[in-house]
Amino acid sequence: MPRLLSTILTLRRDPRLLKLPPYLSLLCIVVGVVWLLLLPLDDYSRRTYISENALLPGQVHTYFGGSDQNVFRAYRHEVDALKDKTNIEINDGLETIIKGIGLKVGRQNYTYHSAGNTYAGENAYAILHAPRGDATEAIVLVTAWKNVKGEFNRNGVALALTLARYFKRWSLWSKDIILVIPPDSRAGIQAWVDAYHDAHDSSNVASLPIKSGLLQGAVAVDYPHEGRFEGVHIVYDGVNGQLPNLDLINSINNIANGQMGMHSFIQERFGHSDKYNDRLKTMLRGMMNQGLGHAVGPHSSFIPYHVDAVTLQPVGNGWHDEMGLGRLVEGTFRSLNNLLEHLHQSFFFYLLIHKDRFVSIGTYLPSAMLVAVNFTIMAILMWVKSGSGDGSSAVTGTETVGGKKEVVTATPSAPPTAERELYLPLGIVIACHFLGALPLFIFNHTPSHLLAPFFLVFSIFNVTLPPLISNLVNLTATRPLTLQQLYLLKSFSLLLLGMFLSSLATLNFSLAFLVGLVSTPLSFARPWPNHAVVRYAYAALLHIVSPAAVVLAGTAAYASTMGLGENGSGLLDTLEYVLSEAAFGWDVWGLYIPLVVWCVWWPAWLVGSLVVLGQPGTKTKMKSA
Amino acid sequence: MRSFLSYLIPPLFIFSDVLASDYHEQLNLKPLPQSSLLASFNFRSNTSLSQFEAHNFRYFPRSLGQILQHVGTRELHLRFSLGRWDAESWGARPWDGTKEGGTGVELWAWLEADTEEEADLKWLTLTNALSGLFCASLNFIDETRTTRPVMSFQPEGDHGSTLDNMHLLHGVLPHEIVCTENLTPFLKLLPCKGKAGISSLLNGHKLFDASWQSMAIDVRPICPLGQECVLQIEQTIDMVLDIERSKRPRGNPIPRPPPGHDLKCNASKPYHSGDTCFPSDFAEGEDWSLDRIFGKSLKGTCPLTDPDAPPVCIHVPERRDIFTTPGASEMKSPDGLSRCYQVPSEGDFSMMLPRMSREGDNAKTVADETVQPETPLLYAERSFTGHGQDRGGVQSILTNPSPDTIVEFVYMESLPWFMRIYLHTLQARVEGTSGAKDDIVEEIYYRPALDRVRGTQLELRVRIPPASTVFLTYDFEKSILRYTEYPPDANRGFDVAAAIITILPSTSPGAPPSRQKTSNLRTTSLLLSLPTPDFSMPYNVIIFTSTAIALAFGGVYNLLVRRFVGADEGAEVAGGLKGKLTLLVAKLSAKFKGAKGKVE
Repeated sequence: MPRLLSTILTLRRDPRLLKLPPYLSLLCIVVGVVWLLLLPLDDYSRRTYISENALLPGQVHTYFGGSDQNVFRAYRHEVDALKDKTNIEINDGLETIIKGIGLKVGRQNYTYHSAGNTYAGENAYAILHAPRGDATEAIVLVTAWKNVKGEFNRNGVALALTLARYFKRWSLWSKDIILVIPPDSRAGIQAWVDAYHDAHDSSNVASLPIKSGLLQGAVAVDYPHEGRFEGVHIVYDGVNGQLPNLDLINSINNIANGQMGMHSFIQERFGHSDKYNDRLKTMLRGMMNQGLGHAVGPHSSFIPYHVDAVTLQPVGNGWHDEMGLGRLVEGTFRSLNNLLEHLHQSFFFYLLIHKDRFVSIGTYLPSAMLVAVNFTIMAILMWVKSGSGDGSSAVTGTETVGGKKEVVTATPSAPPTAERELYLPLGIVIACHFLGALPLFIFNHTPSHLLAPFFLVFSIFNVTLPPLISNLVNLTATRPLTLQQLYLLKSFSLLLLGMFLSSLATLNFSLAFLVGLVSTPLSFARPWPNHAVVRYAYAALLHIVSPAAVVLAGTAAYASTMGLGENGSGLLDTLEYVLSEAAFGWDVWGLYIPLVVWCVWWPAWLVGSLVVLGQPGTKTKMKSA
Repeated sequence: MRSFLSYLIPPLFIFSDVLASDYHEQLNLKPLPQSSLLASFNFRSNTSLSQFEAHNFRYFPRSLGQILQHVGTRELHLRFSLGRWDAESWGARPWDGTKEGGTGVELWAWLEADTEEEADLKWLTLTNALSGLFCASLNFIDETRTTRPVMSFQPEGDHGSTLDNMHLLHGVLPHEIVCTENLTPFLKLLPCKGKAGISSLLNGHKLFDASWQSMAIDVRPICPLGQECVLQIEQTIDMVLDIERSKRPRGNPIPRPPPGHDLKCNASKPYHSGDTCFPSDFAEGEDWSLDRIFGKSLKGTCPLTDPDAPPVCIHVPERRDIFTTPGASEMKSPDGLSRCYQVPSEGDFSMMLPRMSREGDNAKTVADETVQPETPLLYAERSFTGHGQDRGGVQSILTNPSPDTIVEFVYMESLPWFMRIYLHTLQARVEGTSGAKDDIVEEIYYRPALDRVRGTQLELRVRIPPASTVFLTYDFEKSILRYTEYPPDANRGFDVAAAIITILPSTSPGAPPSRQKTSNLRTTSLLLSLPTPDFSMPYNVIIFTSTAIALAFGGVYNLLVRRFVGADEGAEVAGGLKGKLTLLVAKLSAKFKGAKGKVE
């Protein structure tokens, strides 16, 4: 035992030990990425299954159809007649139809302001009282007048009205059914959900005149598609990357595939071959949606309130008609109606790689955690290095080979733990994090037409900011930053980044992974006081992965996929769209992604750049010597 | 509603005056808007108090009578309810809401006892006995669910001086699901037991498929002036049937879409064609008949009933066509809004209301089909506000629709102990009339909850100005239960009983007769979700650790206890029976020698 201890002690003093962490850190990153790439394999993913026994999907006969189609056609005529009317006139028309069915109708006004634009409208909704129920629970059917792309949801609204009339004939509902028809898929439904849970700002969003009980699930129908369809596209991503319970998606898959003979698709991968390639693409697309955290359908707004929700979109050309989709909704509602307790049995954290294969949190989480851990390892290394005083002498050593300062390297053979000068580095790190509030404020409070110019100005400013701060610090402080202070700077910054990212990974895995991956160069940032070329090359590399550059690159990529990126003005429009979208998310949906970008990622990047640009002066060397 | 009840109230006074012991039954039908039908069954029997005390039960059910005598119950009210009354479309409630309870089971009684402890003890006996009698979980009304209302309930019977040592206790089970098993004992209390008379129409399939239903039992002593006191038991079943749904035959209850040509369409729409039909569901009215709605016909009259009281009454406008089976005689009321039928004592009775054509020379309108429902005195709605596992709020919206009268009422909440309310957050906000003061709460009676001992009781006396809405809100905190306190069923949440609103009789002398009586109203119940642990997880952990410990323990114990001996060393000892015997002998001799040695 004593021998072992002494071996460990000698190992601890071994200078080679300090060489190890950067490699370890690199290994973490590589393993993290490879881990993610392995997930689509059969060995790391599982087949989905229905965990909640009460759901019994596809076990009931669905009777929607027959003469209900005649009614559907009539309602579609009615909806067509309302198409070009104002919001109020549309709601008047809908109210007449719904009251004719025998439902209670409520209406709600809302006004949101974001990026200089006003989003106002009036939601119409109706409650079908469960015939023998007691208003304690409810299921929601949402058909927005316009879908997220702004298309007129003609068949969806008509189908919802027909379904409401059909559901009214049944006496078996144990939960109320709420039919919500917001004028759009983004602001209106958010206003409705907020007001339902009494979490609304009553100066902008009106309270609901009639309410029912706890919401147990929601299904949105997005059906602008004309003609017969092949299958349904299940959209499930919620605001801030939260996901609905996997059981809901599985039940719909089960009913669609097993009972209706319909195909079902996820993440816009139509024609999924269930091979590695398609699985990976599905997963990455899902991660992208999760990382961006925006609402992808009217269902998204429900998920932060723990109401499990999905949007169904008919796609493709096949032989299924509106009644088929109606039966799918009916089957889903019958399953939800069976629930005795809130959906809780199955997973809330998962990555779907195919409609019936998923990766659970225990399997995928290590990948983001490993990426986050690499920052922590480097932070610890920097702390140790800053204490040993070894680093500075090593640098001086290399610098002065053959010079007159040979003596300097010789004297500090085994320096004791140096006194750490904490205040300046700590102050800089904290200041940088608070500085993040500035872009956060600017980009959430600028009118949308100014957003793109502002962002370009900010990007240019962003390039000049690190040298500026670096010089500023050098000017104001009594002496330029020492190497030890630079180490401490990096240590604190990376420590914070590692901590933020590893906690974020449990909430929004994809965002943590993506930010972590793009920030990896920060781990290896260090001052190169005597290699100007390396210094500027590394600073340039950091600029390529800066938040501003990544946003620009993302915008360009988005513009090119949308076919808009042909000229500069298209790109600017896209940039304006992306930024106003982010501001809308912040103001309306309560997105926290801008906070992560500007108050976690950007400060870390800024400090990383400072470290690279740092030039520990000669005075330091004299002092440390 | 008054005219609807006017058929019941006069007989009540007439017959209780004439006979000390009698029986009376009546079915009141009232078509409601949106093709619904309110059916009110009323059964009432009297027995004189002296006969009751002499255990001489005639019309009074013996099973119930004995329980009441045993625990000294002076007045008893029991309610089984399901669904909710849609006041917006159906108007005022039947019997002014006095014969209905909140969702689930509700029981209140005046017990004769000298002390509160004695009353509690008697209450316990009563709930347990009734639980057995009515196949309901009434025995779960324990001390945490029992309240002693102060302002909300007043005795209905004549008690005289005995009122002084009577205790009112009230209990609710909001989660109890009323079903056929509660109907059977209910019918058994009737003199004709569902075999004849109007009770022969009652059938669990139809009753529990209703949109709203309430079964009530009221027992109260009545002392007419100058006559002997009688004990009256009144049993009531009210239900709102959806005509379209009830007409479906029992063998085929599934609402399949009708064939296209059977759909009722609005032909005036420009796009109307063979395959496009804008439905006109409620506009054309329904045709229905008693036997189709209830699934069977009325089987004569109950021979015990008073022969002069007509057993079936219907509340429809004069122009509504009604056909009945032969032998029944019709009696129209003078106001033309209702008619009653005298049913032949033998044979089946049914009545048929045909669909009334909207066109032709004898065209009828919706107004000819149903009597416009009366506006209720008060609309009440209650819901939770807020979200999350920690806190919440309750909002009650109470609306006085009347343009000129003030409504005064008592609002009573009995909340479970795990819903800790913050009384300082109680707020009443008035909207509607300009210049209305917010201090509309006149009196508050509040009995705070004690954890695991009793629930919160909150009674407020409120006056609502005319044509205004009151928002009554308060916040509460959700407590964390011990794991054994969660019910063993699926974790749906905890039901919070309906708030009871008692509208006090108007004190002004010129008030209409409908305002001179107490009427009731109940909100819907609420579902409270408490933070609930995943119970299967500790269970899995326990099983897993037990298995691991068992495996490890086995191995370690084995290692510790077993003595390892080389195979050759122990060979001769472990040689079957012979070996064991020699071992035994050796041991014995060793002991013997040892003992000998000691002696020496």
